[in-house]
Amino acid sequence: MSLTHINARGEAHMVDVGDKQTTRREALASGRILMQPATLALLAEGGLPKGDVLATARIAGIQAAKRTHELIPLCHLLALSKVTVDFELDQAASCVHVSALCRLSGQTGVEMEALTAVSVACLTLYDMCKAVDRTMEIGEIRLQAKSGGRSGDYRYDAGASDGVGPPQPSAAQPSAAQPSAAQPSAAQPSAAQPSAAQPNAVQPNAVQPNAVQPNAVQPIVTGECQEGCIGIAPRGEAPCIHVKCLAELRERLGVSDLEIPFEALPTPDIAGLKSALTARDARFAMLAESRVLCAINQVMSGEDSHLTDGDEVAFFPPVTGG
Amino acid sequence: MIRVQQERFDAGVEQAALVAQRNDIGAVVCFTGLVRDFNERPDVTALTLEHYPGMTESALGEIVAEAARRWSLDGVRLIHRIGRLEPGDPIVLVAVASAHRQAAFDACLFIMDYLKTRAPFWKKEHTVNGDYWVAERDADRQAAERWRR
Repeated sequence: MSLTHINARGEAHMVDVGDKQTTRREALASGRILMQPATLALLAEGGLPKGDVLATARIAGIQAAKRTHELIPLCHLLALSKVTVDFELDQAASCVHVSALCRLSGQTGVEMEALTAVSVACLTLYDMCKAVDRTMEIGEIRLQAKSGGRSGDYRYDAGASDGVGPPQPSAAQPSAAQPSAAQPSAAQPSAAQPSAAQPNAVQPNAVQPNAVQPNAVQPIVTGECQEGCIGIAPRGEAPCIHVKCLAELRERLGVSDLEIPFEALPTPDIAGLKSALTARDARFAMLAESRVLCAINQVMSGEDSHLTDGDEVAFFPPVTGG
Repeated sequence: MIRVQQERFDAGVEQAALVAQRNDIGAVVCFTGLVRDFNERPDVTALTLEHYPGMTESALGEIVAEAARRWSLDGVRLIHRIGRLEPGDPIVLVAVASAHRQAAFDACLFIMDYLKTRAPFWKKEHTVNGDYWVAERDADRQAAERWRR
């Protein structure tokens, strides 16, 4: 393995990404901040002196992701298309789980942005709560998953190590010589340390991309539709596409959410997904109606739009709001 | 400011907040959409508004951002309600502030026209004779079409 940020003379240099292909890239990072149960209770009820802690930490994380290039010396300035920071209050472990997702179409990965967002969101939580608790501890900041780019997909493998050991790159993608190989490993030492000292080690599944925010107003839908989940499949699952049917379409089909294996698609696009669904159940033939619209990862898309593992695809009728 | 909420809103309060401590605003146009008791069928007793959480907020954000690119605006408040609503209830509020009335009128109309055709909301109407999903209207599509350029 070679370090891409070091040149032949051992000097630091910025990788020229100009010739790399533009692809859609995503990275999901997570971390957690342990605190006293009383602090967590105050946070949950909004009783902390500095005000709305989670909203502030969320904005801090998003801002930090956008400024990563100013903090990390050899990081490129990226035009992020999406940054989300989510929190999950965990009473059982007395901690707040923090997750950040960054996305862009570009020539270099976004894991440093996601890791920076998590780190700064955790630091902001510390700052907002330190008046009542100085014992808080930030940890387990790690890359959960990344997709896109030449180095392929990576997913943190907690199962192999009970969430303790250093994560392994996914088997299909040898990590040597990948352009961003140095970046995930930077996040690993913190993942290797924690749990012996901490009875409250985070469960591998505790931080999901679509973690529910306890203070948020629950979305109102007439059927069972979860808040939009993020385009990276949970660990340990086979590659798949998450399909949602909304409103009238959901009622006509009798289906709200389903997953279809990525390999079932004859072509990796919306047309391929429709034929895979129709092959599974003839009722899905109605998706071919011209009035049926679709969105990939919550962005309106067309029949030939490209799909990747973990995408969320929603089908719905023309909108009638207002 | 964009909100998607179940709760009722007060157009007066929202408009006041839009112009609070501002002396450079010369025009506010405030549109409120209400639930009618008739639509495709008579005797609508209630409607349920479904949306696509996540995409809804980003779609509304894009519409407001596009309005801000086209006109010189000093503020926008966009509130859309979800869940079960009854005739007479306010559904949607678009309040636009600008230095001059033309921009405020046009931007308000533009936001509503785009919201009607691009934001992922769906209405199901409940009538004395059963429920039905509201169909899209060609007039709405044409209204949005005129802003193309």
